[in-house]
Amino acid sequence: MPDLHLSGIQVLFPGLDAPALHIPELTLPAGGRLAVAGPSGSGKSTLVNVIAGLERPSRGRVLWGGTDIAALSESARDRWRGANIGLVMQDFHLFPGLSALENVLLPARLARVADRAMADRAGELLAEVGLTRPGQKVETLSRGEMQRVAVARALLRQPGVIVADEPTASLDPANAAALGALLDGLAQRTGATLIVVSHDPGLIARLPRRIALAGGLIRDDTERAA
Amino acid sequence: MLRFILADLGRLKAGSFVVVLLIALAVALGTGVTLQERALRLGSARAADRFDLVIGAPGSETQLVLSTVFLQPAALPLVPGEVLAGLQDDPRVAWAAPVGFGDFHRGHPVVGTTTRLIAETAPGFAGGRMFAAEGEAVIGARVDLALGDGITPTHGEIGHDHDEVRYRVVGRLEPTGTPWDRAILVPIQAVWHVHGMEAGHGEEAHDHAEEDHDHDHGHAGFDPDAPLAEDWHDGETPDVPAILVKPASIADAYRLRQDYRVEEGTLAIFPAEVLTNLYGTLGDARQVLAAVAAAAQGLVAAALLLVTITHVGQRRRQIGALRALGAPRGAIFALVWSELFALIACGVALGLVLGWLAARLLSRMIADRQGFDLPVELAAADFAGLGLLLAAAALLAALPAWMAYRQSPVASLRGQA
Ligand SMILES: Nc1ncnc2c1ncn2[C@@H]1O[C@H](COP(=O)(O)OP(=O)(O)OP(=O)(O)O)[C@@H](O)[C@H]1O
Ligand SMILES: [Mg+2]
Repeated sequence: MPDLHLSGIQVLFPGLDAPALHIPELTLPAGGRLAVAGPSGSGKSTLVNVIAGLERPSRGRVLWGGTDIAALSESARDRWRGANIGLVMQDFHLFPGLSALENVLLPARLARVADRAMADRAGELLAEVGLTRPGQKVETLSRGEMQRVAVARALLRQPGVIVADEPTASLDPANAAALGALLDGLAQRTGATLIVVSHDPGLIARLPRRIALAGGLIRDDTERAA
Repeated sequence: MLRFILADLGRLKAGSFVVVLLIALAVALGTGVTLQERALRLGSARAADRFDLVIGAPGSETQLVLSTVFLQPAALPLVPGEVLAGLQDDPRVAWAAPVGFGDFHRGHPVVGTTTRLIAETAPGFAGGRMFAAEGEAVIGARVDLALGDGITPTHGEIGHDHDEVRYRVVGRLEPTGTPWDRAILVPIQAVWHVHGMEAGHGEEAHDHAEEDHDHDHGHAGFDPDAPLAEDWHDGETPDVPAILVKPASIADAYRLRQDYRVEEGTLAIFPAEVLTNLYGTLGDARQVLAAVAAAAQGLVAAALLLVTITHVGQRRRQIGALRALGAPRGAIFALVWSELFALIACGVALGLVLGWLAARLLSRMIADRQGFDLPVELAAADFAGLGLLLAAAALLAALPAWMAYRQSPVASLRGQA
């Protein structure tokens, strides 16, 4: 499982004078659990997108282990992300017409890596996140259940890193708390690095390290003693 | 992947259905025009096949073909009987037979001709035998009469009856797939007698197909039991509307046509050639139709492109999410491409079937009315055209697929809805 090392990162968007993100240096050891906080527009999503290889920084290096993913080609980054990152988004991005199980398997199938063992694993993961009916069509699920399916999908390929951008923002408090516990628990059990963007104090409090962004800069980086 | 495509199309049932239908209609139009035009060509070529050379009186070449090959009723000017007698003795002629039209029975043309012509051009008898007396008739395969039935011809399609004249059906021919299948064939000599025609007095019975042509003739010469005389002699042979000639050789055919063209008072034609010229004129109409069909297909393609590009645009988030979740962009391209190509291929397949059915239906209707087969057949060129169409479809589908391929995965995480 790789360490993360960001250096000299700048993200410039056309029409903005100041960089949306400017991070001279950031390190996160493998298995670390990090919360990213900050006001709206402070660059939280931009940061995790850069970390997940969704956005290419204008400047700087994004080193996962020895690999600088900012230097990879578009398709190489797709492949790398598929194999290493489990993504959970605020919107669940489930595909209607397919069952919960099919949704969990869909990205792996499109990447042509799904096999029998992975299908079995998908079933186990759904049970683990608390879904009892894997054959249920996703459009009939509750929102809490939908986000659990998304979590199971993120974990299918046993990623070394789980990235979640406001995973609880569209859930009610009870569901949000349950999902936060689930994510954290799964990350700890599998030893995966966990990076979560959130406004949710309960979820932030769970994680040992927290950085706060403001205007694209790291304003605060606190590590709670274990 | 297939499941995903099916689920996706399942959600867009109505839209997919309309797209398939639009494509199908445009393709059916093109296919129908092509098939029907070919059927017309094949069918009439087949009908003209048995008539190498036709000699008539000067007038319209096209009318001469329509009247002899397709038995279309019309007033033909007459050829003097001497021409027939001359042809009979010509060494360049294998056989020559007169055809006389003008009478009908229940909508079927009654055609006067000779035993030789029937023997040479019909595939054989399905029942009965050749006519052997003036009052006997042989019917084509599509004539709804039985052996032994009596026939009283009318002059013109709805003209007066030749009351005292009665033919008896003695034979039925095998089908030929030509308009002659609807004909009732009787001895030419009977036609002459029914219309009171004698050598040199032919003008009296001019304009056979004119309905209210009020000529008075007594059918005096008609004798149902009279034996057949099929030897023609100068000065004894009445005039005829047309003569079918089987030349002894191809070279003879050209020489005969030359002679009878130059010679005053006759017109010699190769029906196949006249038909080819006719197609030349019809070809323009066909080209217009083909252009209309092509334009329709182009319009549908453009509309389809617009719809799919909009559609891909509307689904940027979904497409981006798939990529963000680890689907490679090649898979996205394949997904969009196959979904679209599947729709188009369905439409094309449905269109081919529709076009073929429409052509078949039209041919059936024409066969019932005109008695001649328009064979709807697929040719190698159709498959080439199909290949071309599918290649165009593949290219067309590639454009939205390419747009989806280029779609940035961040789009899924940004913006709402
Ligand atoms: N593609 C883009 N083009 C121009 N500006 C952009 C683009 N993407 C982001 N930005 C800008 O970058 C800044 C940071 O955006 P980002 O989405 O990272 O904020 P955020 O911290 O995630 O906010 P929120 O909590 O509301 O999600 C914002 O000012 C935003 O307008
Ligand atoms: Mg954000």
